[in-house]
Amino acid sequence: MIRVESITINEFRGVRELTLDFGGKNFAVCGPNGTGKSGVVDALEFVLTGDVSRLSGEGRGDISVKLHGPHVDRRNDPAKARVTVKVTIPSLGKTATIERSLVDPKTVIVTPPDPEVLAVIQQIEAHPEVVLSRRELIRYVLAAPGKRAEEVQALLHLDQVEQVRAGLQKIANGCEKQIAPFETIATQAKDSLLKALGIDQLTNEKLLAATNAQRGALGLAVLSELTATTSLKDGMAAQKPGEPQSLIKAQAVADIAAAREALAEIAAEATKQRVAEVTTELQALASDPAVAASVKRESLYQAGVDLIEGESCPLCDNPWAPAKLKEHLQAKIVHLKDISRKRIEAEKKIAPLIASLGKARLTLDALARHAALVKPPVVIKEATAFRGSCATRGTKLLTILPLGETIKTISTLQGIPQAISEEIEQLEKTILLLPDPTKQDGAREWLTVAQERLEVWREAMRKVKSAKAQAQTARQVSNIYAATSDKVLTGIYEDVEKDFVALYAFINRDDEGKFKAKLVPSLGKLGFDVDFYGRGFFPPGAYHSEGHQDGMGICLYLALMRHLQGDGFTFAVLDDVLMSVDAGHRREVCALLKKEFPNTQFVMTTHDPIWLRHMRTEGLITSKNGVQFRSWNIDQGPTRWDARDVWAEIEDYLKADDVRGAASLLRNYLEYESAELCHRLRAPVEFRGDAQYQLGELLPAGVRHLRDLFRRAKRSANSWNKKDVVDEVAAREGSFSKVADGSNAEQWQINTAVHFNSWATLTKEDFAPVVRALRALIEGFACGKPECGSYFRVTPDRETAEFLNCDCGTTNFNLREKAAAKAVAKKAVPDKKKKVIKKLMDGAGEGSVVKV
Amino acid sequence: MSGNNDEARVPAEVKPSVAAALPDVPGQVFLKFLETLKESGLPDELIARLRKTLVTDKTLTDRALKPAVLGEEQSQ
Repeated sequence: MIRVESITINEFRGVRELTLDFGGKNFAVCGPNGTGKSGVVDALEFVLTGDVSRLSGEGRGDISVKLHGPHVDRRNDPAKARVTVKVTIPSLGKTATIERSLVDPKTVIVTPPDPEVLAVIQQIEAHPEVVLSRRELIRYVLAAPGKRAEEVQALLHLDQVEQVRAGLQKIANGCEKQIAPFETIATQAKDSLLKALGIDQLTNEKLLAATNAQRGALGLAVLSELTATTSLKDGMAAQKPGEPQSLIKAQAVADIAAAREALAEIAAEATKQRVAEVTTELQALASDPAVAASVKRESLYQAGVDLIEGESCPLCDNPWAPAKLKEHLQAKIVHLKDISRKRIEAEKKIAPLIASLGKARLTLDALARHAALVKPPVVIKEATAFRGSCATRGTKLLTILPLGETIKTISTLQGIPQAISEEIEQLEKTILLLPDPTKQDGAREWLTVAQERLEVWREAMRKVKSAKAQAQTARQVSNIYAATSDKVLTGIYEDVEKDFVALYAFINRDDEGKFKAKLVPSLGKLGFDVDFYGRGFFPPGAYHSEGHQDGMGICLYLALMRHLQGDGFTFAVLDDVLMSVDAGHRREVCALLKKEFPNTQFVMTTHDPIWLRHMRTEGLITSKNGVQFRSWNIDQGPTRWDARDVWAEIEDYLKADDVRGAASLLRNYLEYESAELCHRLRAPVEFRGDAQYQLGELLPAGVRHLRDLFRRAKRSANSWNKKDVVDEVAAREGSFSKVADGSNAEQWQINTAVHFNSWATLTKEDFAPVVRALRALIEGFACGKPECGSYFRVTPDRETAEFLNCDCGTTNFNLREKAAAKAVAKKAVPDKKKKVIKKLMDGAGEGSVVKV
Repeated sequence: MSGNNDEARVPAEVKPSVAAALPDVPGQVFLKFLETLKESGLPDELIARLRKTLVTDKTLTDRALKPAVLGEEQSQ
């Protein structure tokens, strides 16, 4: 994965032109709502993935990246809208420039055109979740189990796992479905064989006994065993080639009986009752147009699910996401569950009717063959037509839709036309008039028919066996896949759960150090319950505060990303994700990100300057690695608090004789900077619960405090007898006093020339010196080295102040006097002694001598 | 920056070889699945076919899976 060194955004979303230098390190963008922070997030997402989820996610309607990604004034010139990032790829030890334009968001320009770098970009495109917004974060925490499973599945790319699971299941179901028709054919073949053999059970003994009786009549050897290849006609002379096939009287008589039986089944009272029952149910379904339409749709959705293959629609070639589309259709099918149940019930009742029609078709088939062999041939026109109609109706009934057609087809199952019975009777009479064969001919005919039907049955059984074997294999494969994927996923969820718990417990160790959570996957759902102070497990939204839920969201995201990308988790954008976390826990979040993810570069946005300050004081970002947006307008995009720009801008206002504009900007800037100065110097400011401090409350306090700090630094240096340091501090103090006195900042309330309320009424000539004086004052708070330029700060940021220093270390004054430092050291000794005593006492046995 | 460098303009599409190099969850599942199949006593040919489909070709459609599971005898 990558680290972003810098980003340049041109004419993209609300940004006209902006370059931010991340230096490959954590970076924060802070600013009030509507100042353009999201533009930076969108630009990062766009350049790395080719997409902007804010514009392309669910429920975005007609909004699209291509149309609405460019700045509104560049919507007809998308070529101008582009984002460029300079990146390093630690794993490759390479740097590159990556650029995308809104002309073609899916095309990325990599310079130099290195395939390895491109491969990394493609990895990010495959894992676009490097950007996490608060909106997305809440999806992991507060979503319904099914929806959460979808979100987590999308993050872990489980759609592929599910696609294979569904595919293997479908194959297994299909194979099992195939067994029944083969079994029906085998049963029919067995019935037909039993009839030919004249036995009631198909056992080897009975079959061999019947066969050997006939073989005996022909003087053929007795068959002692029946194998898979045994021929009942073994040793019998084969039919001469060209010899016409003759009618086998006994068989024909048996087939006539079978046909009558099959036709009687259709005409039977039980069939009539079933027809009436099914007709009523189908009519009820058909009478409600909504239900009828639903049945139709349900069937369409089902067919759709079965047909989804490949990455695009076979009709219009538009790309689709097969897993998403299947899920979509499956949801619709589930929605039509009741309709589906009624349809399945009706289909079950129709199945015996289809079987009766099949039986009639087969037996009438046999009669047609016999009728053709009789001399002269008997015409059984009606029976043949009925046979055809049985086949057609059987096929029609296999598909229940359209319902009207099915009802119509079923209504034709009302008895058997008299003409058919007459034709069969005529055929029977003709056959019975034929001379009975001799005993030898009869035996020969018997063996021929028996062998024929044995072959048919054997083939049918082979198909049943093969279908069963396939079904068994397919089911075994499907079951193994299901079990394996469950095991792997459960392991992943366990790992993620463990990591999530550890991360969350870290940031809440003050009150939830023994926190526990359960991620429970089941049937496409992902349950998520969390412990609430040892009182039991509940959904995260049940009792935990919004702030805690935000914390859970980021921890779950981090745990998932760490599992997903491992060492490759080197970059993430956190877009205002911790807005409701309280100050204490924000500090812990900073510590967590720093400690647990030292190799991940986080780009964070926040509208809260205090949060930005936390990031700095906790060392998550350096003082230079943050930007504060102050305003946004449609023509310029975001503007930031950048000292050089601000002073130049104020000068521009004055040049244009706009004192009001200059005064307003100066006041806002000083308010922002004064807050930062007071924070860094730990200046005492009268506390306000609403944290709305004004310039008059901040800047004088900062000035007074820095003066005091210089005095303390001098006292300290004197106590340590460091003359050179005393001189250095005195020089600094002198310089600062000069600019402070020059600005009159400490006489804020009484000096109208420096009170901002009066600024706007001053003339340009009167206001210019005020600006110069305040600029000098602000610069007086900073390290004089141009490459540093950071404001002085007091360290540590809590407890006893020890040092006054700057970021580069050029300024580093001790604030503690020698006596005080010694007192602290002295106080520390008894503490140490106490610890030693306690340790020894804890481990000491009777009679031990404890020396302190 | 070389915004005009046509050679550098490469359609952003994930290549199977690249995807295979990712520490992805589907990959873990497929490999574990094939390993378990081997222990189950199912024919080696079947496992080889599934390996080719899932791991080498990365074609996960029903149409690709069916011949892999059922072999040549898929239609009776």
